[in-house]
Amino acid sequence: MSATTDPRIDGYARALFEVARADGTLDEVEDELFRFARSYESSEALRTTLSDEDIPAAKRQAIVEDLLGETATPTTVQLLSMVIGSGRASDLVAIADALVQRASAAKQLEVAQVRSAVELTPDQQDRLRAAIANATGKQVNLKIVVDPSVLGGLVATVGDIVIDGSVRATVEQLKARL
Amino acid sequence: MSAVSTLQLAIAGLAPQVEFDVDDRGVTAAHPIFPPIWEIALQTVAFAAIVYAIYKFGGPSIKKYYSDRTERIQREMDEGVAAKAAAESEALRIRTSLGDIETERQQILSEARAQAEGVLAEGRIRLDDEAVELEARATDEIASIVGRSGDELRAQITRHTNASIDQVVVQSLDDSLHQQLIEDVIARVGAATGPASGNGASA
Repeated sequence: MSATTDPRIDGYARALFEVARADGTLDEVEDELFRFARSYESSEALRTTLSDEDIPAAKRQAIVEDLLGETATPTTVQLLSMVIGSGRASDLVAIADALVQRASAAKQLEVAQVRSAVELTPDQQDRLRAAIANATGKQVNLKIVVDPSVLGGLVATVGDIVIDGSVRATVEQLKARL
Repeated sequence: MSAVSTLQLAIAGLAPQVEFDVDDRGVTAAHPIFPPIWEIALQTVAFAAIVYAIYKFGGPSIKKYYSDRTERIQREMDEGVAAKAAAESEALRIRTSLGDIETERQQILSEARAQAEGVLAEGRIRLDDEAVELEARATDEIASIVGRSGDELRAQITRHTNASIDQVVVQSLDDSLHQQLIEDVIARVGAATGPASGNGASA
């Protein structure tokens, strides 16, 4: 996850950030948008549908609302609908990442993206956050992505630092040796 | 009296009377073979006059005719000699040409034979080279096929092995193992002291 230099994406991220902060739901919105961005990133069907200009914007917005339903805050749903409706679906991932960066920076935190095969418990998240802070010397905003391709363990990325404790890495080393 | 008798009488009138007997059967010569002398003399003179006239007036043209004829014959003979010489020269030339042709034929045959042998030798060399090249190429091809087959086999084994590894790993990972792995990573990262740096740091 890297900071973007596209002014339009920054503009959207700043707008979303300001709206969420004003609404007092910045943490939730940031987390939900991050999760939605990861889902969007991994699902080709979702990407194709939401970025298809032939489908009316209202219909695409309805799809987003149906997908998120009551699992996300209304602010997140509205902001996502706004991004989709303005035809920026292809920039959704970049906008969400920029928003996470901006929110983390506002809290003096570094974004730590963690890919794990299974969901981490809150306790594990806390201990992992502390462990990463200890290892990197940076306070981090942990963003967990459930990624079955990791197979087991987890991969944490903090800026340029990659901490790879995944079974996938071990398997790949074994395959390379084969 | 017939005309002949009249003429005989006229001639007899001119001739001396003693040499002819004239009777009722006409004039009869005194000698059965020889005419009278005066007649011989007269006819000799007439003959001489005729010969002289012929010699005088016909002689030059006859002489010229024979002279021309002689010249013509001589010319024809000369021409014959010249033609013979030309024919002999031509024959010699033809014989020479035949000799030249034979020599040339031999030369051409010799050159053709040498050229054919050269082409044959070159062809043999080329064929030998091609055979060697083909053999080498076939050997390389076989080696390549063997290598490729080996590579494909290895790749296939690797693919199956990789798929098997993924399957085995996925099947062997249950919730408790997942948790244990995560805990191990957290413990290792937590145990690390000081800020890590650079890409690809591995826990």
